[in-house]
Order: sequence, then C-alpha cells, then structure tokens
Amino acid sequence: MQAVSNPTKPPRVAAFRTVRARMLFWILAVTIPIYGAAMYISYDAAARRLEAGAERDADELAARLAAELDAVIRTMEGGVRTVAYQLEEVDPPPAQYSQRILGILGAWPDVYGSTIAVEVGDNPKARSFAPYHFRRDGAIKYSNLALDSYGYRDLPWYRRAADSKQPVWSAPYFDTGGGDIWMVTYSVPFFRKLPDARRVLAGVVTADLDLNWVHDAASNASLGPIGMGWLSSPPNGESFIAPIGATSERIAAFDPSMNQAAIRNAGEEMLAKRTTFALLPTGITAAPAYMAVRHLQTLEWRLMLVIPQSELLAEARTLLTRQLWLGAVGLILLMAAITVVAAGIARPIHALAESVGHAAHGDDLSFQLPDKPRQDEVGVLTEALRRMRNSLQEHIRLRAESLAEQARLERELEIAASIQQSMLPGSETTINLPRATEVAAALIPAKQVGGDLYDYFTIRDGTSRDGNLFFAVGDVSDKGIPAALFMARLSALLRVLGAGGELPDRLLTAINTRLVEGNDACMFVTIGCGLLNVESGRIRYASAGHEPPLLRNLEGSVRTLVAENGAAIGIEAAAVYQLGEGFVAPGDTIVLFTDGITEAETESGALWGVERLTSLLSEAPNGEPAALVKQIVAAVSAHASGFHVTDDLTVMAVRFAPPGVATRTDETSTHWLIEVEPSPTGVKQAQQRLYGILAARSIASERIGDIELIVEELLTNIVRAANSESRSIRLTLDCALTNENVVLTVRDNGVEFNPLKPESPDLDADIADRGIGGLGIYIVRQLADDCSYARVDAWNVFEARLARRPH
Amino acid sequence: MSLIIAQRTNPPTLALTGRLDTHTAPDLDKKLDDVLHSGDIKQLVFDLTQLEYLSSAGIRCFVRARKFIEQRGGKVAIVNPQPGVRKVLDIVKAMPSTGIFGSIAELDEYLDEMQRKVRDGE
Repeated sequence: MQAVSNPTKPPRVAAFRTVRARMLFWILAVTIPIYGAAMYISYDAAARRLEAGAERDADELAARLAAELDAVIRTMEGGVRTVAYQLEEVDPPPAQYSQRILGILGAWPDVYGSTIAVEVGDNPKARSFAPYHFRRDGAIKYSNLALDSYGYRDLPWYRRAADSKQPVWSAPYFDTGGGDIWMVTYSVPFFRKLPDARRVLAGVVTADLDLNWVHDAASNASLGPIGMGWLSSPPNGESFIAPIGATSERIAAFDPSMNQAAIRNAGEEMLAKRTTFALLPTGITAAPAYMAVRHLQTLEWRLMLVIPQSELLAEARTLLTRQLWLGAVGLILLMAAITVVAAGIARPIHALAESVGHAAHGDDLSFQLPDKPRQDEVGVLTEALRRMRNSLQEHIRLRAESLAEQARLERELEIAASIQQSMLPGSETTINLPRATEVAAALIPAKQVGGDLYDYFTIRDGTSRDGNLFFAVGDVSDKGIPAALFMARLSALLRVLGAGGELPDRLLTAINTRLVEGNDACMFVTIGCGLLNVESGRIRYASAGHEPPLLRNLEGSVRTLVAENGAAIGIEAAAVYQLGEGFVAPGDTIVLFTDGITEAETESGALWGVERLTSLLSEAPNGEPAALVKQIVAAVSAHASGFHVTDDLTVMAVRFAPPGVATRTDETSTHWLIEVEPSPTGVKQAQQRLYGILAARSIASERIGDIELIVEELLTNIVRAANSESRSIRLTLDCALTNENVVLTVRDNGVEFNPLKPESPDLDADIADRGIGGLGIYIVRQLADDCSYARVDAWNVFEARLARRPH
Repeated sequence: MSLIIAQRTNPPTLALTGRLDTHTAPDLDKKLDDVLHSGDIKQLVFDLTQLEYLSSAGIRCFVRARKFIEQRGGKVAIVNPQPGVRKVLDIVKAMPSTGIFGSIAELDEYLDEMQRKVRDGE
C-alpha cells in the first residue's frame, strides 16, 4: 500500500515486560534466595564448627592449666597435710615446729611463708604459739605471730580451718603486710588424741602460696592463635586475675578499654546459668566477642576466654566471601545464559511482530515469514501466522472483489435509476401535453431505484381535437430492484396498452392479466389511472387497490375522486375493475399520490395522513400543479425530517386548464369565461365546455339541458347575425355559479341588438312568417328565470339567470 | 354528439337518435327533402324516443315538414319525446297538441281511428 510509506514497527515492549526481564526476574527471584540460603547454611555450619573448635580449645586450655596448677597445688596440699599428720601422730614439742615449717618452705619454693599455730583452747598447759617463717629479699625470716598483738586465733585462715576441722583454702588476697604480693593460704587443722580416744584440735598448719607463680604459669600458657584468656579467682573475696598467654597484647589490639571485672562478672553469670560458651552481651567489649568459661577443680578457679567474633569467624567469613564471589560469578553466568535463551525466544517473536506489523495498517499482507520455521513454539506461531496471512490475503482479495462488485452494482444501480427516471415523463412529454392540461409530479425513491411510478401522456383519437390525457400513479409492493423491474414492466404495459385509448378499467384488466401471468415473486402493484377528456373535462378513472385521488376544485374545496377499488394488480387473474366517471371543471386539479406521502412518518410514528393533504390542498391559493407538488413534498419532508425515508414518495397533480377558458372566483360565485369562436363549431365547443362545467358541479342533467339550450339559442343567433353581415366579432360566454343560481352572460361586440325588444312571437301565426331568431329568444325567455340586456361600451351584454334546480 | 336518422315505413317514420340542434338540423333538413319529395306522402312520424336534445333549429325542421304535409292534407306526428325535448316542444307550441303521442302504440291507435273515420265518412 502506497499510503504507508514508512511501515510502522511493532510497539516497543516496556523493558520490564520483555521475556528476558521476566525470565531474569523469576529465575533470579528463585535462585538468589536458594543461593542465599545455601550460603547461609554453609556459613552457619562453618561458624558452628569454628565455635565448637573454640570450645574444644577452651577445654584443652582449661585442662592444661588445671594440670599445671594441680602439679603445684596438689603436691603442696599433700605436703602441708603430711606435716599436719606428723604433728598429730608424733606430737613434737613446739620447739621443733620451725624445723617442719622450714621443711615446707624448702620443699616448695612458691610458698611464701608458713606457720604452725597452736590451739590454746581449754588446755591449761598450752600457751599461744605460732612460729611464722617467710621469704623476704632472698632470705627466710622468722616472726612469732603469737608475740605481737596478732590474735591469730580470730583470723580467718585459722578460724575457718579450726571450725570446719578440714583443710581449707583462703580466697586470694593481696598481702600488704610484708610481701606486697598476691597470695592464697592453705590451712590444715591437726588434732591431738586424748587417752579416751577423743581428738581435739591442737592447731593449724598454714602455707601461704605466692600467686606470682600462677601469673607466670598463665602467661606462659599457650593461648592459641586467637582470643584472650584469664585465670580468675572465685567471685567471693578479692579478685585475682591472671592474663593467659599473649592476652595483654591482644587486648591492646582488640579493645584497650576492656573492663576485666565486667568480663569476670559475665563469666560468673554464664556459670550460674551453666553456660560455657556464648556471645558476650553487647557493651562489654567494643566488638562482638564470644566468651568461654571453665570452672577449674583446683581452688575453684575459673578460666575465661574472650574470642572476638570477627577473629573466630574470620575463616567462615573468608569462606563466605569466596562463596559470594563464586555465587556472583554464577549468577552473572546464569543471567547471561537467560539473556541468551530469552533472546533466542524473543528475537524470532520480535522479528515476527515486525513482519506482521507491516500488515497492521491495512491491506499490505505481503510480509515475509521465515521459510524454515524453527522446531519450537515460535515455529508453531510462525506457521499459524503464515496460515493467518494467507487466509487474510484471500479474504482481502475476496473483499476487494466484492467491493468492486458492489461498486459495479452501484454503477448499475445508478444507470438503472437513470433509466427508471427516463421511464417517467420528463420535459419532452410536457411539450406534447395537450394545451388543456397542466401536470406536475414528483417521485422520490427511498432507494436508488424505486417501485413507485407515475406516467401521463396524450391519447389522440379521431373524435376530439386535443384528445385525452392519460395519467396514472402506481406503487409496487416493494422497494429496490425487484420493485423497479416490476415497475418497468408496468410502465411498458401502461404505455403500450394505454396508448390505444383503452378505458382505464379495461386497461387495468389487460395489465393485470399480463402481470399475474408468471408472477412467482408475488409482486403486486396498486395503481390508479384515469383519462381526462381535454375537450369536455370528462374524467374516467379506475383503481386497482390504490389510494383514491383527491380533487381540488376551483373554489378550493377538496373531495375524493370516487371510484370502485379493484384488487391490486398482479394478485388475481380474475380481478374486475370498475370505471368511475365524472367531470372536472376548468381550474380543477386532480391530485394522485402513493402511500409514501400519506404514510410518511415522524420518528414518533405520527403519519402525515390524508387529512393533512386535504387541508393543504384546500388552503392552497390555487390549484397550480407545480406549486402544489412542491408544497406537498416540502410538507411531507418537513413532517418526516430527521427520519429516514422508508417508502417511495410520489405525488402528481393534473389541472384541467383548457385554453380559452378563464376562471375567476369571488366571494359568492365562480366564473368560467369561455372565449367562443364565432362559428357553429365554436358554439358547439362552448356548449361542450359548459356541459362539463355544469356536470362537474353536479347540476341536474335536466337543468344542464335547459342551460345548453339557452346558450345554443343565444350564441347561434349572434353567430348567424354576424355571418350574414360578414362581420368578424368577439364573443364570450361567462358562466357563473352561485349557491342558488346559474348566471349566463353572453357578450359580443357586434351591431347593437337587443333580442328582448321584439315581442314574443305569435305562436299561433304561421311559423314560416315568424322572424328569424325569435323562436330561440322565446325559448330562452321561457327557460330562464330572468333575462336582461345592456349595451356596454360597444358590447351587447345579455344575461340569463336561472336557478340551479328547476322549480 | 351527433344525430342519427333512421327511416322506417308504414307509417313513414324518421327515428332520431342523439341531438337535434343548429349543427344537426341541416342533416335532418336534407333527409326531409328526400322523404318529402319521394312521392305523395300524407303521413310522417318523428320517433323521438332516442332524441336527447332539441333546439329551435330542430323545431324548424318539424315545422317545415308539418307545413309541407299539411298542405297536402296529410299529418305529421311526434312520438314519445323525452321530457327535455317535450318541454321545448311545449314552450314553442311547434306542434298541435293532437300531433304529439306518448308512444308508437298510441299513434297506431290514432292512425287506425283516422282510417276508420275516413272509411266510414266516405
């Protein structure tokens, strides 16, 4: 198609709606969570594993530390208890106590000091004694704790052991008395056996263990690659905390402001909850960190390990990072694959859309489709499109053909319409019309060609100068081409059969006979046709089911032209048609129409109706056919305006207007002024005219005879007189009708002659002696009610008046 | 609209059909010439049963025939004029009332009477 020089591309699909976008979205929407979940699980497992490893490390460290502490403490406990046992068994004299104390100091270099405090009790022989040997500046010094005000029996280290009669460890304490060191004291009670086998408390052996050793042991302990650790005393008493391994440096690196006391409290809380490994509550360390706590059997001490989460999980995070990278690469590869696959789907579809897009603007269906369609759904689509294209091409071809056919039919219809128009009488027939008639008609087909028909033509016969006007209006039972064809047949029959001057009733019978024959389509036509004698105004009319015509007479009153209606033509072979006969007077107009006029509908369904037609006719200023037809068509169109025409409209008006007859109406009378040719023939014609007028106005035939006679006598006299003098004159006859009377006025411009002047003829005298014309005038005077004569402006004016009805 | 003249004999009769007016009166005059001069005619009957219209010109024909025959002692009779025609005949008194008969039968009766009188009287 030329009109679309730039074939439009298929509309762009919004980026987020493309196949690729959708595939990417959905595949990634599913893949990424799975990926994420897998990575999370993997990371979590790694973290758990690392946490478990940290716990194991803590256990190992705890075991190592415990073993190391036990190695010192258990042996020292054993030694002190052995001394206590020996004191009980041997019960040496107090003087030997220092020797034994020194033995302890000698055996365990980490013991700072030791004493054997004697229980005085209620033993009268006993006295306070507590030799204390301790190290100071590399030497062993001595002090008797009982000498000073040092009431040792009330001190905790003595009291607790004495009261519980069990060896007890003190809580660590910082000795400010002499050594300025952290110490812990082991106190073991010893007893004396009484003869009655009872054992009574004899005293308490103590050893003060220097905890520097613990510091050293802790700091020498191997802490592993990460984390910080402390060895801590139980919570009651002063807190002794010994950093383990590289803790000090690591604290500086991890969180210099770390509060060790808070960590210790947190560890105690965990122990209270029997938890050994957990994340530290936030706020204790600067960054999240795990804490492991172990309760050592030795001295109830605790091992606390703080492991920064970032360090513990560094491996897991490294793994996670690697997995993320791997995942990202995988996703990118996946997206690339999706893109490729989606493009593989979308590109052929897009290509198809672009091809098909050429067809979007109309008839250009020559778009190309791949010859070898793919073996997938796109291929199926391609095949479907090919079939669609082919069938559309076929459809368009058929449509073009049918349009061409339609155009051809249209042209043929136009030709048919013009042919049909030519069947109607046009201007050329008007020229051939008898001068005595005026005809106007209008036919407005509802479709291009119609089933309405009107026709009129002159039939000349031997008997009259101008002959008869034949006129007909018909309405075929349908519209469109069938009606038009039927109408054409009818028209031809009317012309052929009607031209012979056949009377309307016989004409209808003849047409009916021919049209009934082979009328399988059961078409029928209503038709009314008439013959108007242009000499006399005699009208003969017959109707085959057609609306009766209206007759508007000169005076303006309207009546129906009555004729016995026969069956519509084309239905019944034996149909019989009656001839209706009557007269029209010059100036009367016959209006024939089809039901398209009277049944013109407004949208609301109101019909125009015969009543409106009747009143339109009677209100018209005169019976001029062209004006009437125009007015009727205008009124009908106005009535049905805005509503489509459903039926053919036809209206035809025929006015009888013979030459030489002038008409005039005034308030009381109607005048026909007949120009009379001054000859016997002219007189006869005038008589005929007058007869028609009087018959048309329903004057009784007897009275018409009287009037005819009067006219003949008057006119004949004048004509004879003029002829005898070889004078050429003008002669007119005026017939005036009032409600009661007929007034005849004869005017001539001949020699002045008053026919009333001679006396009435002597009828008894010999008829041969009577004056010429006298008899006629006598008859006139006898028939008329009143006669008068006047000479007006060189005209003889004779007037005879007689009643419309004889007395 | 014209005049048709049919001629019958015994008695000699002219039956007129149509209109007898200025136009057609000459035709009748011509016919009368033939009839009146065809021999010694003593009787002439105008049968007006079919005559529709009569004007003064026609009356003149009747008068002429009457004058001609009555001069020879004969008689002219008019039979069965229609009301319109009768009216004109009455107005102009063109015929003695004894010469107008309502029907052929009435005329026959009259003629028979006349003949009987002639026979009886002579």
